Amino acid sequence: MDAVIRIEQLTRTYATDGQKVTALAGVDAAFARGTFTAVMGPSGSGKSTLLQTAAGLDRPSSGRVWIGDTELSKLNETKLTELRRDRIGFVFQAFNLIGALTVEENILLPGRLSGLLPDPRWVSEVVERVGLTQRLQHRPAQLSGGQQQRVAIARALAVRPEVIFADEPTGALDTTSAGEVLSLLRSAVTDYRQTVVMVTHDPVAASYADRVLVLADGRIVHDTPQPGADRIAEMLASLGRRLVAVEG
Amino acid sequence: MLKLSIRLLRARLGTSVATLVALAAGVMILMTLSVFIVSAAVYKPDPGRYAAVDVVVAHRQVEIVTKEFDGETSVTTAALPEGTVPADLGDKLRALPGVTEVQVFPGPAKDRVAAFGVKGDAVKAVERLAKENGVEAYAGDDRGFADRSEAGDARSFLMEAGSAFGGYVVLLIIFVVTGTVGLAVRHRRRDLALLRAIAATPRQVRKLVMAENAVLALAASVVGVPAALLATTWVHDQLVSRGFVPEGFPITGQPLAAGIAVVLILLVAVVAARIAARRVSRIKPAEALGDIAVEPSRGGKVRFVSGVLTLGAGGAATVFALGATGMAAQASAIGLLYLYVIAVALLAPWINALAARVLGPVLRTTWGVSGGLAVANLRANARGSAAVLTALVLAVGFGGSVWFLQNNLQRQTVTQSQDGMKTDYALVGSMPAGTAEKIRRTPGVEAATGVRNTSVVVPIFDGGEAATAKAVDTDGLSSTMDLGVDKGSLDQLKGNSVAVSQLRADSSGWKLGDGAKIWLPDGRQVTLKVVAIYDRGLGFADVLLPRDLVAGPDDQVLVRGTAVRIPGATLVPASELTGQLSRDLALSAWLNKLLIGVMVGYAALAAGNTMVMAALARKRELAVLQLAGVTRRQVRRMVTAEQVGLLGGALTIGALIAAVTLTAVVNALTGSLLPYVPPMGWVVVLGGATVLALVTTILPVRRLLRVPAVHNAGIKE
Ligand SMILES: Nc1ncnc2c1ncn2[C@@H]1O[C@H](COP(=O)(O)OP(=O)(O)OP(=O)(O)O)[C@@H](O)[C@H]1O
Ligand SMILES: [Mg+2]
Repeated sequence: MDAVIRIEQLTRTYATDGQKVTALAGVDAAFARGTFTAVMGPSGSGKSTLLQTAAGLDRPSSGRVWIGDTELSKLNETKLTELRRDRIGFVFQAFNLIGALTVEENILLPGRLSGLLPDPRWVSEVVERVGLTQRLQHRPAQLSGGQQQRVAIARALAVRPEVIFADEPTGALDTTSAGEVLSLLRSAVTDYRQTVVMVTHDPVAASYADRVLVLADGRIVHDTPQPGADRIAEMLASLGRRLVAVEG
Repeated sequence: MLKLSIRLLRARLGTSVATLVALAAGVMILMTLSVFIVSAAVYKPDPGRYAAVDVVVAHRQVEIVTKEFDGETSVTTAALPEGTVPADLGDKLRALPGVTEVQVFPGPAKDRVAAFGVKGDAVKAVERLAKENGVEAYAGDDRGFADRSEAGDARSFLMEAGSAFGGYVVLLIIFVVTGTVGLAVRHRRRDLALLRAIAATPRQVRKLVMAENAVLALAASVVGVPAALLATTWVHDQLVSRGFVPEGFPITGQPLAAGIAVVLILLVAVVAARIAARRVSRIKPAEALGDIAVEPSRGGKVRFVSGVLTLGAGGAATVFALGATGMAAQASAIGLLYLYVIAVALLAPWINALAARVLGPVLRTTWGVSGGLAVANLRANARGSAAVLTALVLAVGFGGSVWFLQNNLQRQTVTQSQDGMKTDYALVGSMPAGTAEKIRRTPGVEAATGVRNTSVVVPIFDGGEAATAKAVDTDGLSSTMDLGVDKGSLDQLKGNSVAVSQLRADSSGWKLGDGAKIWLPDGRQVTLKVVAIYDRGLGFADVLLPRDLVAGPDDQVLVRGTAVRIPGATLVPASELTGQLSRDLALSAWLNKLLIGVMVGYAALAAGNTMVMAALARKRELAVLQLAGVTRRQVRRMVTAEQVGLLGGALTIGALIAAVTLTAVVNALTGSLLPYVPPMGWVVVLGGATVLALVTTILPVRRLLRVPAVHNAGIKE
């Protein structure tokens, strides 16, 4: 398999005030080029942590991450940033934008920082598809939460990265805008062979993906090819029952 | 990067303005100070009576060469009030090839002349010869320095003030700018972390922060330089009207001074930004994604240990300052204040946490729920408010110590002079050396003492310095002045002997019976036997010499008994003598007070600034609190309670530092262990700090609260 991302025995623990919280407890996974994966699981199961460590935003406590042939733990902060800038786009769960900059400047920021401005035609296409053409000169504070989220997605798509990580990109969107965003991600995969890894709680959103990973307590508990929205909902529900059973 | 930084700056006007104000005030102070130092440094007095000669050989200063530990030599110079040149140098000068004429400017004695004026083309040779004979040659523009003049005195006075305070001013500015910039960058942690997460390398973040502060420093110069020009004019007018500098004393070098100030501020701002950015650029990008960018509430071990070590150094310096006296103690005690403030800056997180714990119950009882919230905030934000605590402590410590030093000095001087003056009146004016002798024979006169006020150069540990001196005629001295002799007796002050004050004896390392090596006012180096050590050095003089060691007329005759009139001399009653003394002191204190006032003011400005900045940075947090159901009134009460908690710590520590420093210096300078503080002094310092702390926090918070909370709870910070 032509894996763009490979993670091996990934663990991440947080130590706060002497208490140890295990966010990831040994995760192995590989993501092939041109695939769309949905990561699901209960709140606090480690989804955001998985995405952040895989994207080199956070360093794992142990285990390794490869992007292509590059192993991330070998890179220093600068090299890591450069790799992220060139090959990875990231849409965060919240607080994505620099308040001082306009929508357009926010979208072009990674290019400006790397000195490689993206193709303007592609940028305007992306902007159009997220429905922000009229909003380019606005400040983030003047946009709704969903609109802000779409700016962040446009920013991630603008540089045409090999891999796009998106942490609940549709969490704040209505069904129509969510559909727009999801088909945008889908076409990035189908048309441009980009790789998308997306965290979501919504079975419908997950049904756009080729594969569904389910996390619980920092471990992968399900890894299946697209099973359809209904089956996903069932899986999550059974997981909820199982957790209740374990706790009870 | 520059464009981006300007955009980011504009979006955060509040904090940018705070940094801008600190920087602009820094530019203004530095440039004004530099203008006077530069003016003094480039000033050339009028050659006056030497206009017609090419080189003047005179003796205006003593050069003392000392070997340092590392084998290097250092040279210190001390001015001579009435230096003279050996008369036999004239023949040697005439013998030099190229010398066409040597004019003699007569001095007070036969074998010593005031100066030689040399004509001819032999500057180098004259310089060499002068040097070999321990005197100096002044050629060209420098000829004016060969005579003591009002303008020349003004020059050395400005240079002295500059070198005494310049270093401390620069240090203070470095301190304030570092604190303000550090706080501004800390408040932008979230923004910068997000930049890191999006795609900025640590280097780019550092560059961005540095560029921002460089822009701010340049903008500050645009305000600071014109302000400095105004300040310079004002200070100059004041100096002239108070008679410190003559009317015609040129104020020059503004471009150079502006350059110095701007470059220095730019440097300090950028370096401070670099240090602050280092911390920020190291945080992991993922940290940016949390709701609030969490930061550890305490500092690291290194910080704690450095803080404790600095505190220890401060303690040691205090003991040294309290144990020692004289100049060494004075210098170490002012450095002491800085040491303590640095220790406070380092230990601030722990101090804040401790203050929160100690004052917690009080705040909770007084302010109820709001007090409880305040305590939680104080504890959680112990590190964030380090800059605020430090700025407050600095202002209180400075205002409470250095400001009162001058009062203590003045008071001691006047008291000593009053207590020691046993004469009925004094005749003031230039009178030939034998005048006192004649007055003494007048019926009804019990005693008369002729005095010539001058100065000598005495050794201190690393060179030499000028010390005030009186040459007195000792006959009946104990009836006219009581110097508070501690050891020895003034009766033996005859021939090659000297009496010195206790402080002077300590700093020069002399004991009773020692041979004291000093330079007399005319520049001769002699060894004099210390025959007495007395207490009232401040009120009279550091050094008392037998009258015949110093040539020239008396300028005062102290008389006990009937009033005697002498043509050309004014009769001044003893009561007015001390009054005059305190007026003179108040005059010379003016510049000190101005400089110290500026420093205290700058420290207070920094404190206010820091607090406004900290208050504005809480926009989001306060909005979230309101959304959670806390009323505006409760938010205001919470903020007040927090300020009271912070103030409690700051005032206690600031007052403690001020008290220790003041006691140490006052003891060193006056020998008194109990410093004098004007009755309203502490009220003004502590009250001022309290008002400042409350106003600079509560007003900005009120403004924040006027905006509906939902607008501030969003992503903007
Ligand atoms: N900075 C941190 N310090 C301490 N613990 C943390 C930190 N970040 C995350 N955690 C903990 O790690 C665990 C996993 O967090 P993570 O954010 O990955 O969950 P998630 O699956 O994304 O949840 P959600 O669906 O709510 O976003 C949680 O228990 C969380 O409390
Ligand atoms: Mg998450």
